[in-house]
Amino acid sequence: MQREALVVVGGAQGSGIETSAIILASALARQGYGVLSSREYYSNIVGRHSYIHLKVSATEIPRSLSYPVNVVAGLDAESVFAHFDDLAEGGFLVYDTGVSKARLAQIASMEPETRAAVSVKLKSLGAGDTVESLVSTLESMFKVEPVGLSFNSILDVLAHKTGMSKSEVQRFRNSIIVGAIAGLMDIDQGALSYSVDRRFGKRPKLAEVNKALIFGVMDDVKGSYGTPLKLENPKLGLEELLLVSGNDMVAMGKIVGGLRYQAYYPITPATDESTFHETFESLKVDGESLGSIIVMQTEDEIAAVNSAIGAALAGVRASTSTSGPGFSLMVEGLGWAGMNEVPIVITYYQRGGPSTGMPTRGSQSDLLFTLFASHGEFPRVVVTSGDHLEAFYDSIWAFNVAEKYQVPVIHLIDKFLANITVTTPLPSLSRVRIERGQTILEVNSKSSAWKRFDKSDTISPRPVLGSGAVTWYTGDEHNEWGHITEDPRNRLEMYEKRWRKMELMDSEIPEEERAVLHGDGDFLLIGWGSVKGPALDALRRLESRGYRGALLQLRVFSPFPSRFVSRVLSGFDPERVIDVENNIMGQAALSVAMNTGFKVRKYILKWTGRPIYEMELASGIMEILEGGKSRVVLSYGK
Amino acid sequence: MASRLTYRTDVWIDWCPGCGDYGIVAAMQKAFSELSLDPASTVVVSGIGCSSKTPHYIYANGVHTIHGRGIAYATGIKLANPELTVVVNAGDGDLLGIGVAHFAALGRRNLDITIILHDNQVYGLTKGQASPTLRKGEKTKSLPAPNIQDPVNPIALALASGYTFIARGYALWIDHLKELIKAAIKHRGTALIDVLQPCVTYNDIYTADYYKERLYKLEEDPRWDPIVSSNTIDEVEDKMSKALSKALEWEPRIPVGVFYVNPHVDTLEDRIAKRNPLFTVKPPARQPIARNNGEPLIGLEEFKKLFSDYIIKVVK
Repeated sequence: MQREALVVVGGAQGSGIETSAIILASALARQGYGVLSSREYYSNIVGRHSYIHLKVSATEIPRSLSYPVNVVAGLDAESVFAHFDDLAEGGFLVYDTGVSKARLAQIASMEPETRAAVSVKLKSLGAGDTVESLVSTLESMFKVEPVGLSFNSILDVLAHKTGMSKSEVQRFRNSIIVGAIAGLMDIDQGALSYSVDRRFGKRPKLAEVNKALIFGVMDDVKGSYGTPLKLENPKLGLEELLLVSGNDMVAMGKIVGGLRYQAYYPITPATDESTFHETFESLKVDGESLGSIIVMQTEDEIAAVNSAIGAALAGVRASTSTSGPGFSLMVEGLGWAGMNEVPIVITYYQRGGPSTGMPTRGSQSDLLFTLFASHGEFPRVVVTSGDHLEAFYDSIWAFNVAEKYQVPVIHLIDKFLANITVTTPLPSLSRVRIERGQTILEVNSKSSAWKRFDKSDTISPRPVLGSGAVTWYTGDEHNEWGHITEDPRNRLEMYEKRWRKMELMDSEIPEEERAVLHGDGDFLLIGWGSVKGPALDALRRLESRGYRGALLQLRVFSPFPSRFVSRVLSGFDPERVIDVENNIMGQAALSVAMNTGFKVRKYILKWTGRPIYEMELASGIMEILEGGKSRVVLSYGK
Repeated sequence: MASRLTYRTDVWIDWCPGCGDYGIVAAMQKAFSELSLDPASTVVVSGIGCSSKTPHYIYANGVHTIHGRGIAYATGIKLANPELTVVVNAGDGDLLGIGVAHFAALGRRNLDITIILHDNQVYGLTKGQASPTLRKGEKTKSLPAPNIQDPVNPIALALASGYTFIARGYALWIDHLKELIKAAIKHRGTALIDVLQPCVTYNDIYTADYYKERLYKLEEDPRWDPIVSSNTIDEVEDKMSKALSKALEWEPRIPVGVFYVNPHVDTLEDRIAKRNPLFTVKPPARQPIARNNGEPLIGLEEFKKLFSDYIIKVVK
């Protein structure tokens, strides 16, 4: 029995592999395993190749993904051609024998560049260009165990049993995959049954058919192949857990944090968060509404951010969620919020740029953009999250900091985190507090003019619109009353008053919250965001080989924790400090240099739009530590 | 700092002497006074340009935003606290040029706010370029050559976009404009007042004399009835068509007054309240988000109930 397993499930976009993944993940979670499941897909509705990459562990909540995998399960021939070399020696290839004769050249949905690369691989193995030829090559060369199932025969039986037509049963194809994987892993039937009900609870008929199919395939596969991937009993010790994506986690955080206005314009990979808010807009608990979240789908991202700023002026916790192209449109509004000291939160899910780039793939290439976006100088907060729980707490923290310091906060995450579904413990809410700083919801002296930008202190009391005070705001430089003035003395003082908030935040927000040093050793990785998981796992892998290193996880880039970071860096040989990022510039390293004067010399970078995998990061580190390289470019992944 | 009764502030008004904006501000102040608006519960929002300085000259909350986006700010303000009276002042370039996406989208929502469009056919603050309402072939003072773009018709655009109160006023007919502003604010739904105004510095075509010779009031015709009363499709179409044909009139006579009113369309606030009645009972801005000790209103117990679909209980 093994401690963990890695699985790839591939199929055409729209064919239901996501459902397969949810059913498998929630069944495994039900049994108490830790699961992490990532989704790779094209910007396409139907037909392009997509896949789920899933890791299960009996001992911990997985933090990263890796290759090779124990199972590749393909709904179609393309998945077999695309992922056969992701499979470990002795791994299992689940495929449809109905596509045995399919040729690589016939797969129209495969991009020509990919097809050419696969063709080269097939030739180098001496395999023919059909699925069956490839399967027998894998079997003989790599001891791969082919689990060939005739999907059509299975579905014919299903049609016969249920009275459904041949076309109706087609939509159950992905349950064959679930059954096969569940058989190989010996997933508990009760857990699977729970999982199917959870997915199809409102459609019991559909649930029953799925169960019958899954259990049938499961039994057949067990009968023929045994349960070679049965995992050890789970030792996580959790009684209940969340099964959530990064989008879900941010949404939950904002809701707990008191979100009342969310504006958005549809964009991948941000929109799922807003859809979540709309689902929970009435905040109904035991039939009673605890509040109302206004979710506005606006005409563009410009309206999204600016209406959120308006809502914040009126005293609600307001935010917008977007990705790169949307944020590009928001930057003028960001400046107005900075100038007028308005607390707003912008959740920014990075994807591959520039321009439309790779809209459904991940990246970390917008860090510097968020730090410098909009003209002029004004205080802002840029916070990044390394995993789902961090994303939850950071979403609340973002509102608190925004209101306490009256600044725009950019919560920078990425597609990887957004689309990774993971089992995670329930957040602890006992230490969560709502801090609204100098926000005044009601003033005593009604209808009196108020010095909104009172210079007597760095943070001026902020009576909201509707509080009873009369206030003025303008994007022009203004006096204490919020009226326009270009007087140089006022400019000197007001500009500095705003900027002092940066210094205030830097002195009040503990540096240990803004950067975290994980572990110790004689080399140091610098990383941020979703690099955290693979970095920690790569360090653990290397430790077992006698290399001990630490990770400096940068959490808040503005205000940057300069003293803490300098202190950490001074403890390492500069030649053994390695920056790890999903971009080409080494943007976090540039930020470190700007704030501490430390010039990073070693880089491990990836910009293919696919996540950094643990094994490639571990070998990248070795290439630097032992191979004398100063820059390693990673590229694994389909 | 200012007087509540007159809705005036002591900020020196830096418009050109004779600017139509003075008339618009005066009409607003009179209207606010006659409606007894509480300055603290009223928000004047603007974009960028000469006219967008308006909030600084009115004793009420003022939000002077960025070019073209006043409507977006107003939307957030109104939805966060629907008890506020929200008026947007902006120029023709602001609302019909850079901000036209918001101008059109607002009609789809019928949010209960008022838009006062300062329509002088030029970009004043940048020294007299053609605005989206200047007609093709016209050459105002500082244009090097006649305008080669056709104008947008604000009344027709508002009709097509779904505005439920559409009027046109004239900046120098202050009392007439005041009445339009009062009616617009009282109307439940999105209201537009297209205010024609001379730009004394850059517009040498649409001068006070030009308007004096051509303007007439729609209400002078006793048969003119712009208000949808029965809300049948036929009546709506009929009233919209009549409003449109009035909107197309320009030479030799230009109509001002109320073009179209449909009080029967539900507002965005109504639509939201239908989904969640709490929205009107207690506006978002007045909803508590924390308990007295600062703990979030959604504690662990509420969290578990709210998000139960995302929670899996482990079975040993």
